[in-house]
Amino acid sequence: MAQGRRIKSPEGNPFERGKQVRFQFEGRSLQGYDHEPLAVALMAAGVRVFGRSLKYHRPRGPVCLHGHCSGCLMRVNGVANIRTCETPCRSGMVVERQTGWPSAGLDFFRAVDLLSGERLDHHGMFTASSVLNRIAGYVVRKLSGLGAPPTADPQTPVPISRFSSDAVVIGAGAAGLSAAKTLSGCGHNVVLLEAEEHRGGRLLDGATQNGWERIRDFKEEIESVAGIEIHVKTPALAVYPGDTLQVVAGNEGKTFWISARRLIVCTGTYEQIPLFENNDLPGIFGPRAMDRLVCGYSVVPAEPVLVVGERDATLRLAGRLRELNVTLAGVVTTRTEGDALTSLKRKNVEIFQDRRIVRALGGKWLDRVELAHRSSEQSDLVLDCRACVVEAPPAPAYELAHHAGCRVSFSSQSGYLVQVNDEGQTTHGQIFAAGHIAGSDSVDAAAQSGERAGLACALSLKDDAQVRRRLESMQKG
Amino acid sequence: MGRTIVCRCEDVTVEDLNQAFSEGYRDLESLKRYTGFSTGFCQGKCCTAHAARFLSALKGGDDTVADPIRTRPLLHPTPASHFARAVELLDEESK
Repeated sequence: MAQGRRIKSPEGNPFERGKQVRFQFEGRSLQGYDHEPLAVALMAAGVRVFGRSLKYHRPRGPVCLHGHCSGCLMRVNGVANIRTCETPCRSGMVVERQTGWPSAGLDFFRAVDLLSGERLDHHGMFTASSVLNRIAGYVVRKLSGLGAPPTADPQTPVPISRFSSDAVVIGAGAAGLSAAKTLSGCGHNVVLLEAEEHRGGRLLDGATQNGWERIRDFKEEIESVAGIEIHVKTPALAVYPGDTLQVVAGNEGKTFWISARRLIVCTGTYEQIPLFENNDLPGIFGPRAMDRLVCGYSVVPAEPVLVVGERDATLRLAGRLRELNVTLAGVVTTRTEGDALTSLKRKNVEIFQDRRIVRALGGKWLDRVELAHRSSEQSDLVLDCRACVVEAPPAPAYELAHHAGCRVSFSSQSGYLVQVNDEGQTTHGQIFAAGHIAGSDSVDAAAQSGERAGLACALSLKDDAQVRRRLESMQKG
Repeated sequence: MGRTIVCRCEDVTVEDLNQAFSEGYRDLESLKRYTGFSTGFCQGKCCTAHAARFLSALKGGDDTVADPIRTRPLLHPTPASHFARAVELLDEESK
């Protein structure tokens, strides 16, 4: 069990960890830090396979570390399907993996993957006789499924808080923070909902220049204006359209049912892994997951790390990893210029240009990747790496706006974007959208679109000459 | 076995999508119902955009074919205890 490496947490890191604690993992006592996510403590302690996939029983591990994917699910204190990346590590916790037989580490049913050829088509299996079909159904139900029923005491009902607000802003990233600040500055009361524990979104990423300072500035600014109510660890769950919008959100201690006159959706994007052979192998992370893991939680899961991507943020992450003395296997990019690339070259990072990743190889964890020339299918270079950061095309989190009836449009380049006009207004007049779900492609663009949507939203609540002038000057700028 | 996984919750591969497409499932909603992508724990957060891009490419870059699948609340996995009180609340209101 190769352990992850803990590095010194840099100054000003918002992701604080507490004292050392011990917890139980499948009968072993492991060490972690109080409050750090369980998934991080497990990776630092050398746990590689977090579970098995449902059909082929392929190894699974954390991918996004932002609570979106299913890679880090485990049974915690007798409750199945807990996202360990969102669950703080506590002394004495009992943690188990929930898929695989006899265990997730060594799973007999992996044979399904190895023996089933190109694809296992379940549509026509065991359909010849109804008796066989029933038996097969029974067996499949035993084989699959996600975790056993809880042994913990039933949870007590959570109180529901029902109230009205001028506006609700969903997502406290660069766009959401700007929007909320702008709206409350215009005299409207705002509820800001954030799914994560920390406000900031991409501003929390180590690859974002001065991100942590900018969050502190926002914190001071936001706390200095009255009328913003912020709830963290409180994901919005649903938006129902009507005379007033009904927004449902919830955290561990309270469920919110908010009637809002206006809504600004700033939910950002989901991390994805691009499509290549064995793209599901543990050890392959999205850029923001690796960023959070190393820059935020100060854990290097494995080395050397290969970074694959074109965006400035991804290249900057590679540079940041180098600064933190993480061993890099290199950077694969089709970029030929730009400050981020120049800076990498200056740091003596090996650059593999004009190549793309075609295949990952390894047993239960990444071992090496095969690269091919951009124009070729045939791999011509094999690189040893134990962790790989791969950038994928964007996948905006459009669902909440879609629940409420806002029109979304698809393009291969951007994914599903919520359609907005110049002022950030969606096709549902009471709902605005800003940031990456409305097409921003950088933190700064997101912050700007948040401010614009905040102004337009304020104006739609109450006409005000000064707000109108601010919006007009923004549009011109 | 080398596989390219589109939906990691339900182990849906590129070959599965190709097969479904060749059997005539040529819009996103039908592809979803046939292959099961986006029906797992993450409810499509990690695969819907992939599948839409894949479909668009199979249709020669036609992005209009990828109308979004119906998304339904709740967006995040939530314990039922969060809503146990809602019934009482609604009962009180209807009195």
